[in-house]
Amino acid sequence: MIEFAMQKAWLIPFLPFLSFVLIGLITKRSEKLSAFISIACILTSFVLAILVAVGIFGAGEEFIEKSFEYSARWFSMPGLEISMGVKLDPVSSMMLFVVTLVASLVQIYSLGYMHGDPGFSRFFAYLSLFAASMLGLVIATNLLQMFVFWELVGLCSYLLIGYYYFKVSAREAAKKAFMTTRIGDFGMLLGILFLQIVFGTLNFTELAEIVPKYADYGITLGTLNLIAILLFIGPVGKSGQFPLHVWLPDAMEGPTPVSALIHAATMVVAGVYLVGRTLFLYKTATTAAEVVAYVGGFTAFFAATIALTQIEMKRILAYSTVSQLGYMIMALGVGSLTASMFQLFTHAFFKALMFLGAGSVLHAMHGKVNVWDFGGLRKKMPYTAWTFVIGGLAIAGIWPFAGFYSKDEILLEAFNTGHTGLFWLAVITAAMTAFYMWRMIFLTFFGEEKAENHPHESPFSMLLPLFVLAFLSVVGGWVALPEHGWGYYIRLGEHEAGHAPAWMIATATTAAVGGIALAAAMYWKKIISYEAVGKAAGPLYTLSFNKYFIDEFYLWINHTIVDGLGRLLYWVDIYVVDGIVNGLGFFTKEAGAVLRHTQTGRLQNYALILFAAVVVLVLYMYFKSPAAAMIVLGGGN
Amino acid sequence: MNIDYSLLTIEMLTAGLALGLLVLSLVVPGDQRKGFGYLTAAGLAIIFAISFAFNGVNKEIIGGMYLIDDFGNFFKQLALVAGVLVALASIPYVEKLESYRGEYYSLLVFATLGMVVMVGAGDLISLYLGLELMTITFFVLTAFKRGDSKSAEAGIKYVLLGAMSSAILLYGLSMLYGVAKTTVISELVSTIQAGQISPALILGLMFLVGGFGFKISAVPFHMWSPDVYEGAPTPVTSYLAVGSKAAAFAAFVRIFMGGMPQIQEIWIALFAGLSALSMIIGNLIAIPQTNIKRMLAFSGVAQAGYILTGMVAGTNAGIKGLAFYLMIYVFATIGAFTVAIGFSNATGSDEIKDMAGLSQRNPLMAAVMLVCLLSMAGIPPLAGFAGKLFLFSAIVAQGKLWLALVGLIMSMVSVYYYLSVAKSMYMGEAADPSPIEIPGSLKLVLIVSMVVTIFLGIYPAPLTGLAEAAASVFALK
Amino acid sequence: MLQQYAGIGAMLIIAIVFPIIVIAISSIVRPKKAAKYKYETYECGLETQGETWVQFKTNYFMYALVFVAFDVETVFLYPWAVKFMSLGTFAFIEMFIFIAILVIGFWYAWKEGALEWN
Repeated sequence: MIEFAMQKAWLIPFLPFLSFVLIGLITKRSEKLSAFISIACILTSFVLAILVAVGIFGAGEEFIEKSFEYSARWFSMPGLEISMGVKLDPVSSMMLFVVTLVASLVQIYSLGYMHGDPGFSRFFAYLSLFAASMLGLVIATNLLQMFVFWELVGLCSYLLIGYYYFKVSAREAAKKAFMTTRIGDFGMLLGILFLQIVFGTLNFTELAEIVPKYADYGITLGTLNLIAILLFIGPVGKSGQFPLHVWLPDAMEGPTPVSALIHAATMVVAGVYLVGRTLFLYKTATTAAEVVAYVGGFTAFFAATIALTQIEMKRILAYSTVSQLGYMIMALGVGSLTASMFQLFTHAFFKALMFLGAGSVLHAMHGKVNVWDFGGLRKKMPYTAWTFVIGGLAIAGIWPFAGFYSKDEILLEAFNTGHTGLFWLAVITAAMTAFYMWRMIFLTFFGEEKAENHPHESPFSMLLPLFVLAFLSVVGGWVALPEHGWGYYIRLGEHEAGHAPAWMIATATTAAVGGIALAAAMYWKKIISYEAVGKAAGPLYTLSFNKYFIDEFYLWINHTIVDGLGRLLYWVDIYVVDGIVNGLGFFTKEAGAVLRHTQTGRLQNYALILFAAVVVLVLYMYFKSPAAAMIVLGGGN
Repeated sequence: MNIDYSLLTIEMLTAGLALGLLVLSLVVPGDQRKGFGYLTAAGLAIIFAISFAFNGVNKEIIGGMYLIDDFGNFFKQLALVAGVLVALASIPYVEKLESYRGEYYSLLVFATLGMVVMVGAGDLISLYLGLELMTITFFVLTAFKRGDSKSAEAGIKYVLLGAMSSAILLYGLSMLYGVAKTTVISELVSTIQAGQISPALILGLMFLVGGFGFKISAVPFHMWSPDVYEGAPTPVTSYLAVGSKAAAFAAFVRIFMGGMPQIQEIWIALFAGLSALSMIIGNLIAIPQTNIKRMLAFSGVAQAGYILTGMVAGTNAGIKGLAFYLMIYVFATIGAFTVAIGFSNATGSDEIKDMAGLSQRNPLMAAVMLVCLLSMAGIPPLAGFAGKLFLFSAIVAQGKLWLALVGLIMSMVSVYYYLSVAKSMYMGEAADPSPIEIPGSLKLVLIVSMVVTIFLGIYPAPLTGLAEAAASVFALK
Repeated sequence: MLQQYAGIGAMLIIAIVFPIIVIAISSIVRPKKAAKYKYETYECGLETQGETWVQFKTNYFMYALVFVAFDVETVFLYPWAVKFMSLGTFAFIEMFIFIAILVIGFWYAWKEGALEWN
């Protein structure tokens, strides 16, 4: 079985894709059948992913250094050989597990959440395609294959964010997501092209071997750094790093299960995964790695400051995702695959949990989104509330929940590699994370009930995923505990042994508990007046609430510079380019109309032309070939 | 002389099928001749499946007069798969015939047999034999619509011009024989020396180019194709457009690449000129056409120009591109013509303007037409893009950048008239918005053409593998 | 190279000159008396009936085609028959198939009425 799963690992992305095709072509009329096919396919993929994981992790050391890899030629040209393949190693099999798990849970959850929606089948088709694209990306053996699926993921996110296409905001958000990530993709594509030109291959395994010997390929370290930074622009867009993070908070315009999928398992972690896959490049290109680390650290901090003042539940969660992704990127920047993938792993569970929990709340509140309108929901929605609390504890990093272990790992790596500044930034961010998360939890689930709300607990199909995810948010971090645990399998280079010193654990826990305590004091027990704090912060509060006016800034750039340029180009287009094009078109058409008269329909003409053409050819060749011409003209030899 | 007859399985089965159909049409009373189309398609499909057993077999029989190799097999498969699709596409047409239903399919299979023999020929005489079997059969098929003046006109034109081109070709072959003193193509390599090019040889070569140029309808030997394409029954037209063309290209490759690579400099310039002319004139005249079949005829002239670039490259990469392109051209062309068949079957019209609003009347037909035309224009990710990529990169590698540029520019021109059909289908307002129903056999052909065209665009590797094996028969650069 | 063509040239000259000489001699030698029958169309000695520019029935061509097929068949049959004993059974089967194919053609022509005169 395990052998089969590993040999046929391409089935894991193929099955959801098959369900997309089946639903799209055949069963879209029958909602029940569509949902059944979709869930059956993704669950089969999940089982296969587990088998693959058993195969990879069960083999011990075998696949850590050398991955299990096979591929088929996709197309080839002189100098370019591209294959589609499957690359299985601890990192990709971990990702397969996470993605199929979260996708399965999200689909089960959607059964309840999307019940009665007119586009029910379409929704499941998109979800399947989304999962298929992400899974294809995960098993990619080379950058081009990854890029293809990367773009497919982008397309699916466009379809799903804009799922409620009758809503203007949803359409706008979908467009924004697509355009913003496209900017990143452009940089990334340039990076990929440079890699192909310089090294002649895009295969990860081959690149990992030859990139350290970059000098043999006639480039300097500076060029390599440039390539690495270009490549990093893709993840900046896709993983919502500053300054291309603007699309991610708007992406919540899609249905909530989609947000959970985007934020936890598919779209945004693709960027992190790409950097993780190409980490060998950043090990060599150290300047680029520094850029990655600081972009990540800054994004983590920056997004957390915005999340402090937001009032919509999903928006707070969205900024928290940006912030957490910043952590992962930062961990990669300081060179730790172990820590960043660990954070990705645990984050997938608690962020999916909280998004689905938020969906459950919004489902119950019939469209109300402002956390200030909620309150005391734990009494009417106990399961949602307590699973959400577990998520909150996990993301804050309280022992023994999952987030505690992964956050410590990142802090330790940042400190050990000498990035003291980043370390303290991360600690402050951790405190802020605890604060804004618990602010939301206290406002939503604690305090007084509001009379005008009539909440109700969600159906079982929506609660089941919450239970599973809550369980994993508790135990997910324990995989690091055994000696041959997380860090042994998921690593690049040496096993980074060692645990955080006591003072570091104490600092992190103090920060987290402090954040929660402050939130409790301000929003639950009301000991400190949040209004007074807000006033004292003054302009800082305004900045944070308005997300540093970055959206407005981008809009302004668009309106003045891009539009102005556009108008100028439009003028050129109308009067210069169109003139030329129309002229050429006119000429071409006229030429066609004239040439058409050669086609008389008269047999004699045709025969004449046929013979004449042969005669012309013969004469031409006689005079063209010197030997022949000599015989004709010069009387031969 | 012992002949291993098992090597001739494909040929014998095809001949058997053709004769069997003829006998059946004698035995079965005229009004009960249903299902002949499906029988033909199934028979050819079985032979097609069997042909895969011959992949990798490289043998010659009767002293090199006939070759069983990967190149021949590739084109046999092309002829057979085209035959299957055309047989299916013919069903609604043949049902409208009053008589000679069985004979139609029998002739279709005979034409296939002609192509099969032609592409397997290793000798000028067997080549000519196959060519004539194919051509004469097409003469009859072209004039098959009895009582239709356009069909009769097309038939007469094709007979007379075809006979002339055959005469020219045969004259060329005899000159070649006179110079080389052999009719076995592989022996030409040693008997024609690069340094001694006699006028007779040049005369022979030009006649050869004229004769085969007629079959591939390259400018200036293309004059017949629009008239014949328009007048002939549309399924026959589609077979004429793909099968006859592919077989003639195969003969070109056999004779020039296989027999005379040592005098490349003489014929490469010639083919480059023909290719450029065909691309330019074919695309330009296609623009003002109003009849879909005439438009496709001129676009076929232009396609012949693109495919000729594979000859211009004169390398294995060029042959690979040529073979690849011809195979995908089969699906795109038959797909487009089948839409025309279904459309004229339902409405009696071949005019582009009558296709307005087709996307509402039958979305499948409109989609297939769009995919096929865009593939011919070379728009990614359809198969035509991959094909043009292979062809043009092969000539660029040989330093013929100018020809690739002509090809690219004319491809852009071609987008104009292809898209104007699409515009009419998708944005035009139908005069009669009633939905169009098409028979199941046509639907099958349409879906197969579309799926293959899309699939090979995204994942061309299976076909490139076959095309590469076919090209490797020739020991060129 | 020209020497090789010399023979052809000589042949060409003889071919042109010889008929000229023959025609010239006959025009000198023959009697030049006009007569009525001399201006009639020559048709194997029979008297001609009506116009010579007439349409032929297509049946003639049908007959001709069928005749040619069987005529050519004999070309293959003769050498086969001469060497029959040494060729063995397989050649017999081959010839059987060959004739069978021809017979199918003939059968078809018959059934379609190619041999009926109407």
